[in-house]
Amino acid sequence: MRIGLEVHVALPLKSKLFCSCSSSAEEPNTAICPICMGFPGSKPMLNERALGIAKSIAAALNCRLNDFISFVRKVYFYPDLPKSYQITQIGGAVGTGGYVQTASGRVGIVRVQIEEDPARIIRGDDYTLLDFNRSGIGLVEIVTEPDMTDEGGMKEFIIELKSILYYLGVDIDQEFKVDLNVSTSGDRVETKNVTGMANIVNALRYEIKRQGVMASKGQRIGMETRSYDEAGMKTVQSREKETEEEYGFIYEPDLGEYDMRKVETETAVYASRIAHEYAKRYDYSESTLRELIMFNREALALIDGAKGGHRMQNIVNAVELLIKYRKTGINGRDFESMLGLVENGAAVRKETIEKIERGEGISGYSAVSEDEVNKEIADIIRSNARLLEDYKRDRKVLNFVIGRVAKKHNADPRYVSEQLRKVLRDVFKVE
Amino acid sequence: MNSIEEFNSLEKKESYYPRLVEELKRANGEFHAFNLINEGIRAGFPFSAKDNICVRGFEATCSSKILKGYVPNFSATAVSRLGSAFGFLGKTNMDEFGFGTFGINSEEPARNPFNSDYVTGGSSSGAAAATALMKYHVALAVSTGGSISSPASFCGVVGYTPTYGLVSRYGLIDYGNSLDRIGIIARSAGDVRHTCGLLRGTDRYDSTCVDHNVASDGKKTLFVINQLNEVLDERIRAPFESLLGKLENLGYVVKRVDLDIIGKAVGIYYIISSAEASTNLARYTGFKYGYQYGRFTEYYNDFFSNARAEFGIEAKRRIILGTFVRSASVRGKYYDKALRARRLLIDRMKGLLKDGYIISPTMPIKTPKIREVRELTPLQSYATDALTVPPNLCGFPHISFPFDYIDGMPIGAQIITDHFNDDAIIGFVEEWERHFKYRFKHNLGAL
Repeated sequence: MRIGLEVHVALPLKSKLFCSCSSSAEEPNTAICPICMGFPGSKPMLNERALGIAKSIAAALNCRLNDFISFVRKVYFYPDLPKSYQITQIGGAVGTGGYVQTASGRVGIVRVQIEEDPARIIRGDDYTLLDFNRSGIGLVEIVTEPDMTDEGGMKEFIIELKSILYYLGVDIDQEFKVDLNVSTSGDRVETKNVTGMANIVNALRYEIKRQGVMASKGQRIGMETRSYDEAGMKTVQSREKETEEEYGFIYEPDLGEYDMRKVETETAVYASRIAHEYAKRYDYSESTLRELIMFNREALALIDGAKGGHRMQNIVNAVELLIKYRKTGINGRDFESMLGLVENGAAVRKETIEKIERGEGISGYSAVSEDEVNKEIADIIRSNARLLEDYKRDRKVLNFVIGRVAKKHNADPRYVSEQLRKVLRDVFKVE
Repeated sequence: MNSIEEFNSLEKKESYYPRLVEELKRANGEFHAFNLINEGIRAGFPFSAKDNICVRGFEATCSSKILKGYVPNFSATAVSRLGSAFGFLGKTNMDEFGFGTFGINSEEPARNPFNSDYVTGGSSSGAAAATALMKYHVALAVSTGGSISSPASFCGVVGYTPTYGLVSRYGLIDYGNSLDRIGIIARSAGDVRHTCGLLRGTDRYDSTCVDHNVASDGKKTLFVINQLNEVLDERIRAPFESLLGKLENLGYVVKRVDLDIIGKAVGIYYIISSAEASTNLARYTGFKYGYQYGRFTEYYNDFFSNARAEFGIEAKRRIILGTFVRSASVRGKYYDKALRARRLLIDRMKGLLKDGYIISPTMPIKTPKIREVRELTPLQSYATDALTVPPNLCGFPHISFPFDYIDGMPIGAQIITDHFNDDAIIGFVEEWERHFKYRFKHNLGAL
């Protein structure tokens, strides 16, 4: 069996792709203008912020990046499409020929492209409504090779992709929409517009079963386009279907070419790879780490900052406490204090964390002489010449010093942290 | 002094504009230059806009039934840029969506002010007719494949098509986006110079509009392309040869050259323009604006198909042709190939234009009667675009100007220069006008 996906996700943009209308209006048909309504005389003007995000995604998915990109018109008649064509990309896409690495193998990426969303269709019993707020919202479409071979592999791919997108700032709470291609016999069957993981899995299971039954009866499956019936949890034959022949792609003459060479990208974060690496390095459970960091920037940052000076189990416990109490935005120093308590086996309640954040003293620490602490801090720094160099680039490098000294003397990490700053300033002349 | 400065310097009575409107309405009964006359005009130098250019609050129909009732809530950038020194006089007649060479693809075709039995040319038919009717007026017109030059030539006025990208297309209802240009039809090159200065400049609402210096690099060599000369009607060839003689007397050097590929221009043009047009016209489904067929309870396919039945015959022909040439199975053979051929033609013509201007008559035939062009097959009609299509396909600036009168009807010549050298050919026509006086039969609004 071969499974391929065309994934659509909304780009994190405040305004639409080709006009300045808001991309987040709620009252239907309030964020509309001549451009996104396709009124005669209007022209698209590209929101160039889309280029950086799309290029970052393409780079994260290991694509070849095109130096110049262009757009095409894909023509079809449907009431949600104001111009009766969608502005999208094919040949001049942002990236082509990439891949996503998952535990069960590589999934090839055919291309990453930018396109506009049509209007939202709301169907009632005997009426249909259209909300053009969605018309013209910027999407990125990610087209995969049919490289997935079973449900597990598909799920792995989707989670991996979502995590990569999450770390690039693409809102994954907005459920993403896929066109699901399933071929059990050689004939490709496409199920369009399936939204959310549960529906995607159900659509896949239904198709496998349906195609299996047909094959067992000796019937030819045939290439076709289907749609997903969410209530019935099944795929149904589409009444309308367009073919590549009918789309009649032409180059979008209102936009021209865009030079991508100077467009800056954000560095990708592969949380699954980090979980794997830390699990090995700190001899810890990979699945627990994955669960913590795949979709949690803050957890990853806290673990990264504390990983040298503490046992992974304690760090994970502390992060889990924060998640449990829904505490966000804690800084590295307060997190050190918290870790100190966790390591001492003290009970950390929500109030305890709030106290730490307010800078109030926490009982249970021993008093330690300033000279002794300062000498110890200075010794650790002197013992590793590179530390100071690294510190200039990344302030988190010295967090482990706080942890180590605080632990040894059962001192308040907040106090140790202040001393560290003094030592850096007075002894090493570093601010 | 151009007529805009002259107009502004003259004393005008309060009744000037209402009287102009009255005279114009009367003349329009015969010549059908206007689809809409703005009776509210009270100030400024009168300008008209072709009916595919949006003017906020005024119906924009492109002379098509399918756009009846479409009143844009925004103005084209070109219209806004004219500013308050200009007064909006009305929307001019045209071939439906710009599809036509003679102005007859309109419910009520515009008629030539020199003789109403004759065509005005097209597709900016009303723009040229209005200019020939009024003493003080400029027209915002639009060219895709020659729609400014053709009517300017047949109506005996000056038609300027700027370098592609120099004037914003925002607010222009698209025909072929990679070809469409807003330009000016006026009674003199001086009026063109005055007006076009206001229109130029980059616009965030049109990505293809650029901020580029306009040069005035005057040339002394005039290239006559043999392959274009061959298609001329004998009655055009002779006066054109005498024009070349006059220009030689003014110090120009005429060089006759071959440019084989130019014979393919009309074919390339109809493939690209129809492909683009067929996508642009896809939005007319009678759904949110314009002509609505039946009620929303119909199946969507029936609903939009019935509305689209209202397109005129030429619009339907272009939609079918354009949809065909971009279909996946033949796209490589037609659309993609035409794009490559267009690049080749641009390179070849650019090679000539660095050393001189290209000059030819604007149209290969004498002004025909309306009755006569109704008999032409589409291919015969398209063939008359042979001289105007090349500079349009390649984005080169060009001007059609009157140079002779035969049997009482004006004939025009077309001068072409390299990209962004627009002001040089405006200067060329200004020089010509110092040696040749244009004739007009009507002078509505004279002071």
